[in-house]
Amino acid sequence: MLSFQLIASPTRFPMPPPVQYPLLSLHPPPPPTNPSIPSPETAMAEHDLTASVAAWMDPHLVLPVLEFLQERGVYADEEILRGKIRLLGGTNMVDYAMDIHKSLHGTDEVPADMVARRSEVVERLRALQEAVAPIVAFLSSPQLVQELHADKQYNLHMLQERHHIGPDQIEALYQYAKFQYECGMYSDAADFLSQYRALCTNSERSLSALWGKLAAEILMQNWDVAQEELNRLKEMIDSSSFTSSPVNQLHSRIWLMHWSLFIFFNHENGRNGIIDLFFQDRYLNAIQTNAPHLLRYLAAAVVVNKRRRNMLKELIKVIQQEQNIYKDPIIEFLECLYVKYDFDGAQQKLVECEQVILNDPFLGKRVEERNGIAVPLRDEFLENARLFIFETYCRIHRCIDIGVLAEKMNMTYDEAELWIMNMVKSSKLDAKIDSVTGTLIMTTNRVDVHEQIIESMKNLNARTYMLAKSVVDPGHAAAQQAAR
Amino acid sequence: MSRFFDQSSSSESDTDSETPVVEQRPRPVTRQIPTYESDDDRRQRVVLPERTKRVEEINEFVKQLKNAKNIKDVVKASEVFEDMVKAYEKCKKIVEKEGHFKHYIRSIAELETHINELWADNDWRKSASKNNSGALSKLRQRIRKYNKDYEKEIAEFRANPDQYPEEEKVDMGSGRGGGAGGAKGRGGDDESDEDEDESESEEESESEESDEDEKPRRKSAKVKRVKNEDDEDEDEDESDEWSESESDETTSSDEIDYDQKDVWKHFLKTDKTAEKTGKKDKVKAPRKRDHKREQVQAESDQESEKPKIEKKLFGKEDEINHVTVLNKLNEICSSRGRKGTDRYEQIELIKELRVISKTHNLGPAMDVKIVFNLIAISFDYNARTTTCIKPEVWAECLKYLDEIIAALMENPDIEFSEAISDEDENLGQDKTKPYRIRGCVVTMTDRMYEEFIRILQQCDAHGSEYVERLKDEPKICRIIDLLQTYVERRDDKQQMCRIYLKKVENMYYKYDKNNEKKSAETVDRLCKFIYKNDSTDRLRTKAILCHIYHNALHDRWFEARDLILMSHLQESIDNSDIPLQILYNRTMVQVGLCAFRVGNIKESHSALLDIQVGNRAKELLAQGVMVQRNVEKSKEQEIKERQRLIPFHMHINLELLECVYLVSAMLIEIPFMCSRDFETKKRLISKQFHYQLKFSERQPVVGPPENMREHVVAASRAMRNGDWRACIAYLVNEKMNAKVWDLMPQSSNVKHMLTEKVKEESMRTYLFRYSTIYDSVSVESLAHMFDLAKSHVYSIISKMIINEELMASLDEPTQTVVMHRTEPTKLQTLAQQLSEKINNLMDQTERMVQIKGGEMGPFLPRNQQGQQNQQNQNQNREHKQKNYKNDRRQHHQKNQHHQQQHQHQNQQHQQQQQQQQQLQAQEQ
Repeated sequence: MLSFQLIASPTRFPMPPPVQYPLLSLHPPPPPTNPSIPSPETAMAEHDLTASVAAWMDPHLVLPVLEFLQERGVYADEEILRGKIRLLGGTNMVDYAMDIHKSLHGTDEVPADMVARRSEVVERLRALQEAVAPIVAFLSSPQLVQELHADKQYNLHMLQERHHIGPDQIEALYQYAKFQYECGMYSDAADFLSQYRALCTNSERSLSALWGKLAAEILMQNWDVAQEELNRLKEMIDSSSFTSSPVNQLHSRIWLMHWSLFIFFNHENGRNGIIDLFFQDRYLNAIQTNAPHLLRYLAAAVVVNKRRRNMLKELIKVIQQEQNIYKDPIIEFLECLYVKYDFDGAQQKLVECEQVILNDPFLGKRVEERNGIAVPLRDEFLENARLFIFETYCRIHRCIDIGVLAEKMNMTYDEAELWIMNMVKSSKLDAKIDSVTGTLIMTTNRVDVHEQIIESMKNLNARTYMLAKSVVDPGHAAAQQAAR
Repeated sequence: MSRFFDQSSSSESDTDSETPVVEQRPRPVTRQIPTYESDDDRRQRVVLPERTKRVEEINEFVKQLKNAKNIKDVVKASEVFEDMVKAYEKCKKIVEKEGHFKHYIRSIAELETHINELWADNDWRKSASKNNSGALSKLRQRIRKYNKDYEKEIAEFRANPDQYPEEEKVDMGSGRGGGAGGAKGRGGDDESDEDEDESESEEESESEESDEDEKPRRKSAKVKRVKNEDDEDEDEDESDEWSESESDETTSSDEIDYDQKDVWKHFLKTDKTAEKTGKKDKVKAPRKRDHKREQVQAESDQESEKPKIEKKLFGKEDEINHVTVLNKLNEICSSRGRKGTDRYEQIELIKELRVISKTHNLGPAMDVKIVFNLIAISFDYNARTTTCIKPEVWAECLKYLDEIIAALMENPDIEFSEAISDEDENLGQDKTKPYRIRGCVVTMTDRMYEEFIRILQQCDAHGSEYVERLKDEPKICRIIDLLQTYVERRDDKQQMCRIYLKKVENMYYKYDKNNEKKSAETVDRLCKFIYKNDSTDRLRTKAILCHIYHNALHDRWFEARDLILMSHLQESIDNSDIPLQILYNRTMVQVGLCAFRVGNIKESHSALLDIQVGNRAKELLAQGVMVQRNVEKSKEQEIKERQRLIPFHMHINLELLECVYLVSAMLIEIPFMCSRDFETKKRLISKQFHYQLKFSERQPVVGPPENMREHVVAASRAMRNGDWRACIAYLVNEKMNAKVWDLMPQSSNVKHMLTEKVKEESMRTYLFRYSTIYDSVSVESLAHMFDLAKSHVYSIISKMIINEELMASLDEPTQTVVMHRTEPTKLQTLAQQLSEKINNLMDQTERMVQIKGGEMGPFLPRNQQGQQNQQNQNQNREHKQKNYKNDRRQHHQKNQHHQQQHQHQNQQHQQQQQQQQQLQAQEQ
């Protein structure tokens, strides 16, 4: 049976890495002849996660990723095109593959196997269309669809009785939807799949259809719907009735997390969503065991999300645990800042982070604005990262040279001064600027011992009174309570 | 059936007249293998021992019961009855197969009648002792109840009692006196049993005598042998010689044993007076010993002339084919494990059988089968389980095992498995089918390995003998490798898992100096195979532990850590068996050592804590038996413990272990102690470390450190003063190098790491201790004092400030640390303590009132609610963390368990309080 998922080999504990998707052996182009100057391409590809991310994705989902990479020019064009052809070889989008082939080789000729595959696909399409004709006819008429009830058994019975639509036709519907999906007709596939789910009784199939639906919605960029499907799928995976082995469950979670990246970095509420999902114990476990590269997205989301600052500590812990397995500039930035307190290092990493974000298909999403193209996430990230550095720096120091600070935050002196002024003004920062020496002086507020003691003794009187009262006259207290 | 058997069992004169050639040789041999009357008997024989044993047991009880009945001792009768019922429980299996034992039914039925008679006999009851009459009523009820289950059988018995014998015949040789003449038969049985027991004690003394007798004779025999054994190779000769001396002892003693067996045979058969025949036979005994001597000679003759051997085991006209040889083999094996079986004789016989099968070309399967049994019997050689077999025997077995594997490799068509039943075996009888043999060569190898460990355990670990024995280790490794190739070829997953594990077990503790990668890869590959394919949990657990150990040994800290955490063994190890727990302890220790070498002091400390905490490291690692005061151990316990001991070459150095533990405790504890100068409650992180500190403080005069502990204590003292140079000098010097550090593979790295850590922690200690004296310290001077990079100092101080350990802040332009001077004065500290205590008192009183009143009085003031919420949150978070993959505390599950429980209680309590608060809030 075909499934929408990539099949990673199910093995028992300690898991091997998932099977590398054969279509994607994206290697950075060979180094240029003069090794002292790294070509921009290799530097960009250094932190590219496409290969490891794509291992957990459906070929169709990888396509947009490749498209992005092509645009950014992270890899040589040829490489990408070849990758695309290999990718499309597993799908039914033969025409598209033919086009790519043409542009890759600059010819109008198309290899024979592609032509053969095309006719094969067309033939199969015909056959499937025939098979699903009755049920499609049924589903396309609104009156008939109204006859369906919530009760699945009833529906099946009814279909069988009145319209001669049996399990075979329903199964064909699934196949047809899958075929449509493979052909790149995502909206049709999504429709059929949701209808199929309404009729299907096989839970495994239903799950598979749900995966397909999710992929289709993602590809159509219906983020709201996709989010719903995601939640539904998550529930199914986490439910105790998820029948397959724990390993399968783990793999499903990792798939889900990878697919969700599309949604989270596009949906407006996605940045909360990703933190909520990834920080759940089971998912965090899954990340740690099998997909540590997801930490990049989690870290970026935490940095960007001001309201979830409290998760930072947890994130740092995880990062420290996984330091031997996964590293990239974003992670290292946090590590420098919160583990080593190495501000210079953090500063350096921040510069690298920018590159990473720009080249990441999920983080570097671009938005057209009036005055050109902007990458909103990069700006937010840099802003917040700066704030992180500044905050930590202030906590440790009593007196800071603004010049040094500006350097640490990657700003000019004036920018930094303005920035600090704003902070002080909005009373986010309890400090004063000494403009003669060009320093920032923090006011330290220490807790007074007297206050502490008074605070702790404050309530004793009242408490004792209450206590004494209830001891002396328990009946009274009870009565009082009853009266209230 | 061979004619030969008939003859030997019937009479001697017959044999003499008919086959003069075989005259003396066969007799001693056959006598030692129980002989059988008919084919029928023998076929049963193979499966019977269990049944025979049970039947005899019951017979015994029936007898006792009868005696008790005769003297009307009801107490005794009821005891015996209970025992018998228990014994009969054990026979269930047999009973299911064959129906109830008739003699048992008879016995219980008769007992009931007897009891009822006694019950009716008022006179007797009056005269009987209190005990007896009490027992009578009890037994009466008991048996009535019990016999209800057997109503049908008993009714049948009462209908025709003749078919129910008093005792069941035991199918042994000529059989014991049948149903007839119960009393006499029983008496005879008794006697023979006793005789057997006695004979054991007699054996030794008599055998000594005979030994002396035989000495001159033996010499001559030996001379002959040497002549005849030219074609034999050296080592075989050696082993033969060794066993030769043994044989003289055992065979002669055995003979006596059998003579006495003959006593009862005669006695039963003829039914004449026991004494007479018995005496006669005993008179005969010396003469038989003469035969024996001749036999020794004869044997040595036969070694060179093979055809003669056949005559010994088989009659002249006997056809030698698969069936007969197999029968013979079964016959020899069936006497295995029984009293008075001559084990040496058995081994010899099987060896001969093997030669026969070879000369007659019975095929490789037969050969494998015979050798397999030969090994099994060799293992039996030592009756006691506590001692090991002799190294020579072991070496011989190893050789045989090698042969088996070689044969199996050569003949891939032989199917060799435990799943094949005896009936399905095909050793070549049926030429059309493939060979099938019952047995398991992996199990045999396991057994060999165990035996090897046992041999090592018996040796003095520091003697040269140990080294000698250890030289055998590569041999067994080779066998395992061979077996691995064989099993891999068969592609039996479970077997592969087993043999892989054996291989891993042989590898995991060895440090691979040269090509670290290779062994790591092998272990990794094998273990992963086991994880994937093993269907029993035990193998997997073992494999994981070995895998972790091997990783830790080679400083692959992250791999080891991840494996531990993924295995979740900390949670379940308490329920597993002791050898596994020992392995777990060893692994944890190794992980701790690894963490130390890599520089993860905290992890190292927590991993070693459990082992070190009770000063029981030696025992926990099974590297020695501890003699504890106040704890009396029974002998059995001690023997068991000794059996579990790990052989010396696998030991982990205990001094190294302790030193690493103490040093890591020092690195954690000293700064901690200094930072808590103002706190009232002093928490201890490591009790053992404190004990050492206190111990040295109690000394009137502290001399220069002598042993490892004193060195660590001296270093701690230096560290407390912030003197890192002195500290490191105490830790790393020639004495310590020789004792501890040089035992680690990369000692220079470790020393370097240690120096760095000491610097850091000394600086921290220094800051904690002397921050009150300073108003500000320049980072540079600190860096200079502790020989650290400026950035490093900076980062350490930053960390301390963030964690609020150090009340200070940095002054960036001047590069100094400015102290905040928040340390409370003495008075303030006292006031704080007071307020804390009062609050505690208040809490407790409230709790008490609550409990007493059963009401949840709304006592807590509101402004504490916030605090508590926070606390609760913190705890919640901690709970969560626990689930994370990497919570360090998982390392020592015991502690954690307690903590968790404690926390849980706390939480519950706090939840209660919160509820109260909410209630209160609502009310108002």
